[in-house]
Amino acid sequence: MMNKKKYAAMGAAVLLASVSLAGCGSKDNNSNNTASTNNASTNNASTNNGGSTNATNDGSTNGGTNATTPDTPKLTGDFEVQYFVGGYGDKWWTKVIADFQAANPDLHVKALGGPKINEQNKPRWIGGNPPDFVYIDGPELNDRQMVEDGQLEDLTDWIKDAKNVDGDKILDMLAQQPQQFDGKIYNIPLVLNSWGIFWNKALFKEKGWQEPQDFQQFLDVSDKIKAAGTTPFIHTGKYPYYINGAFLYPAIVSANNGDYTVLQDMAANKVEAFESDAVKTALGKIVTLRDKGFIDKASIQINHTDSQMLFLQNKDAFIPNGLWLPNEMSKDIPQGFDFGFIPSITQDAGQKIVANTSTATVAIAKNAKNKDAAHAFLQFVFSKAQASQWAELSGAPSNIKGDISASNAPSFVKDAAKYLTDPNTIVIPTITFNADVDKAMQDATDALTIGKIDPAGWVKRVTDVVKKVAK
Amino acid sequence: MEAGSAKWQRNLFIASFIIPTFVFFCIFTIYPVAKGLYYSMFDWSGMAQTKDFIGLDNFKEMFKDPIVWRSIGNDYFLVVGKIVGIMVIATFFAVALTRFNFKMAGFFRSIFFIPNVISVVVIGVLWNFIYNPQIGFLNAFLSLFTDEKVTITWLGFTNHTIWMLLPPAIWAGIGFYMILLIAAIQNIPASYYEAADLEGATQWRQFWSITVPLIWEQMKVSILNIMMTTLNGSFVIVWIMTEGGPDNSTQVMGSYLYQMAFRQYHFGFGAAIGVLILVLSLITTVVLQRLLRHETVELS
Repeated sequence: MMNKKKYAAMGAAVLLASVSLAGCGSKDNNSNNTASTNNASTNNASTNNGGSTNATNDGSTNGGTNATTPDTPKLTGDFEVQYFVGGYGDKWWTKVIADFQAANPDLHVKALGGPKINEQNKPRWIGGNPPDFVYIDGPELNDRQMVEDGQLEDLTDWIKDAKNVDGDKILDMLAQQPQQFDGKIYNIPLVLNSWGIFWNKALFKEKGWQEPQDFQQFLDVSDKIKAAGTTPFIHTGKYPYYINGAFLYPAIVSANNGDYTVLQDMAANKVEAFESDAVKTALGKIVTLRDKGFIDKASIQINHTDSQMLFLQNKDAFIPNGLWLPNEMSKDIPQGFDFGFIPSITQDAGQKIVANTSTATVAIAKNAKNKDAAHAFLQFVFSKAQASQWAELSGAPSNIKGDISASNAPSFVKDAAKYLTDPNTIVIPTITFNADVDKAMQDATDALTIGKIDPAGWVKRVTDVVKKVAK
Repeated sequence: MEAGSAKWQRNLFIASFIIPTFVFFCIFTIYPVAKGLYYSMFDWSGMAQTKDFIGLDNFKEMFKDPIVWRSIGNDYFLVVGKIVGIMVIATFFAVALTRFNFKMAGFFRSIFFIPNVISVVVIGVLWNFIYNPQIGFLNAFLSLFTDEKVTITWLGFTNHTIWMLLPPAIWAGIGFYMILLIAAIQNIPASYYEAADLEGATQWRQFWSITVPLIWEQMKVSILNIMMTTLNGSFVIVWIMTEGGPDNSTQVMGSYLYQMAFRQYHFGFGAAIGVLILVLSLITTVVLQRLLRHETVELS
């Protein structure tokens, strides 16, 4: 099991390296919020091992040397880091904080971590006494809301030229560029993941089912799957953001000729974006699944664990989910189960595959008392050494590009990497919707899957909320 | 002089009990209620340092929100369903375990009380498994009587999923009220029933003419308590089992409060729902107390 985790971590790292190229796929889409980027920097990231080799061998020493270079003022005082502990665990946070502390002995670093830390620290944020640095993940922390509430430091100017402790420009290191809020940057993606559709390769091989590459192939194989007595598709009706993230949003981008700005317009509460033909076409694909009887009826009432268990039991052939699925279910994966993965199955034949990414970000509190330390910590965590450490200790892809290869990666990670490195893949930068609109979309999608409303009803419901929110 | 001193000491003794209680009451009841009222008049995300005073706008918005009305309807559906379900079954068990002597009465009393020592969270999870359309006990049981495997999505129908929340809610509440009623029934002198037997009264007649009137105070307290705990506490079972879904069909005021305050970052709106719960609880308590008013029967 340990080896498995290690391989998963290494595979994730390979994925990271590859996502840098995936960014190129999305570059053609003329977004203000571009998913990156820069071939030169990609090459540098993969070939320049100067700083990272030392950092990998002795991260703390290297970090310390770089973090306290002669022209940098010595960091002193208290420095508080708030981090949510969820599926990625806290090993990396413990390690990186210890490394940073070792590199800055005159600084008193306080770690505020735990699964309930977001709730526990809420009074401090409300009271204007927040921790200096925050990892935005888990319940009750929403980056868009934090920006609207004026809780986060505007990093727009700082990040433009900021370099990490290895001397590399941070923006060039990122596989996924930061989301912009009205053209400003407040938080930087630390974790990178992708939504997509999973299946069991072993089952498909055994049954002679073709692995789908586009929507028509998905429908064709689903017909065969259904005829064989297996339900083609299950999702997590209790949390409909799974089907939205892995099916609907890529479908909207595909229907918009690969241009993901439609999603960004939706996030900006532009009513016309929700009323676009792309949205209606994408919703029509859910209706097709529903009307063909491909959606497991159990979906509507179950949570992610239940749907994942049914998928692992081969009761359902396809599941929309994120790359964390195999790691999350590692104790329950049956012998011989072989994850197949494709970022999207809603594109027409010949169209590009669409990868909807999912990130967890880090930020500095606007009211941070030790902003120097917070900036230095940002420079510290966005290094290749820490990327490597993240992959090893959290078992999840980091957002930092770097060649940490050694490819004994699980096949689903290789699949993901293959797609994400393919120039024919469109990578959607992470988009956070307004919480009310997001909830309305989730409810409406659930209602659509059980035939309670039609696509027009979906649009009407959601745009009603959008209009209210946009006032 | 001595009389004055005794009076003073008595007052001091009374004050030593009343004042700390009053202080605690103010801190843990009056202050939160007042604070909730205060927050309900602000447009506040619950995270920002600044709040915008908007007066009664949250309340105006609240009454225009169809999900609020649905939540109120669901809450009262659960109140009525639980009162009827719990009182009928708890009374039935209480009478069965006290009036009809049999050897296993103690055993059954313990068994029926078990749900009360289990956390509501565990009950919710347990019943989620019972209702699971693929691996659940209920469909498996029904499949014994059908040719094809039953795959009903018990919690998946927007029109009647709220009905499915009643059985676990009732199941979880029976034990406590059963014990309460058993205690009341055991206080009824046996001579009343002996006299009724000599007069030739049937068991039903004895139940309606002796048992119910003499335990009415306990029944009234039970009904009021079920009502209040349902209006204020349905959140847990709803959140564990459905999170108010699918499509908000099982939303109750408590779950919608949580959804709005902590998931959608409308803390002021959530506080307004909290005020609504308070007001409706008070009104319902007063109305129920009037409806349940009954001449007290005193045991001699």
